[in-house]
Amino acid sequence: MSPKTKQRAKRRPRRQRRYRLITSGLLMLLSFSLGLGLRFQAKAASAKKDLCQDIISSQAVLSRQQLTQLLTIPERENRQAIEAIAEEPYCTLTAIEVRAGVSAERAAYPLAFDPNTWLVVLYEDEEYVGYGFKLQH
Amino acid sequence: MVLSFNTRRMVQVAGGALLTLLAACQSEPASRTITIQQTWDLQVGNQVGNYRISSGLGDITLELGGDPVRMPFDGKLQPMDDHCLALTSPEVPAYLFRLCGINRPNLGQRSQGHTIGRAERLVFAAFRKEPDGTWALIEPATELIEQFLTE
Repeated sequence: MSPKTKQRAKRRPRRQRRYRLITSGLLMLLSFSLGLGLRFQAKAASAKKDLCQDIISSQAVLSRQQLTQLLTIPERENRQAIEAIAEEPYCTLTAIEVRAGVSAERAAYPLAFDPNTWLVVLYEDEEYVGYGFKLQH
Repeated sequence: MVLSFNTRRMVQVAGGALLTLLAACQSEPASRTITIQQTWDLQVGNQVGNYRISSGLGDITLELGGDPVRMPFDGKLQPMDDHCLALTSPEVPAYLFRLCGINRPNLGQRSQGHTIGRAERLVFAAFRKEPDGTWALIEPATELIEQFLTE
């Protein structure tokens, strides 16, 4: 072996070590930021208030058929049109006032085929106003 | 040499992944366009001469003086009419809230209590969905507007 190759052989591990250090550092940074993000998300989720105000019927779910029927009902229809199909909701949400002087009631129905998705129905003055799909985490 | 090439490659891949993650976090949601039921000429976004109308009938302007505007409930923030935002939420079905005048807003899916942005003058409007798919300007409740301004 010439002294040149010896030198290179000596230098190489040091260089490798440096790269390894940079890589592990970067990976650590990546996992740290990922973990931080996840924790932040978890915190936001736990800090979130519960959607339900009063549980009405703990077993209530909405079947595919009920959902399709519900979606055919036009807005401004009487509240009973919805309740004839969906019966009792899983829970009601806090009453809110969106329009001045009109209190809005909201009822939530988990979907039987996708329990993490809830159908939220809004009523004003015994009138059906609209629906939304809420994803529960 | 092979090993150092691999590590370099790994650094590149890790860097690429990080950049992709950052890009994914910052992608802007699609803008929202609605058909307003009331067909007034003098509406937000229209012009008088060479000037853009920043508020019209049905809008409520609040002198916030740079104070923050917050999410009153979980929901989605989308750009609307170039200078405004649309807030919609499945928790408050059939309603859409238009917020104009917010500087550098945080768009996308946001949780209740999160800051939307700060505004010198907030121009607020509330819309309710009509059976024909149009949106009617309505008079919002004071209590509702307050929820945007308090934590």
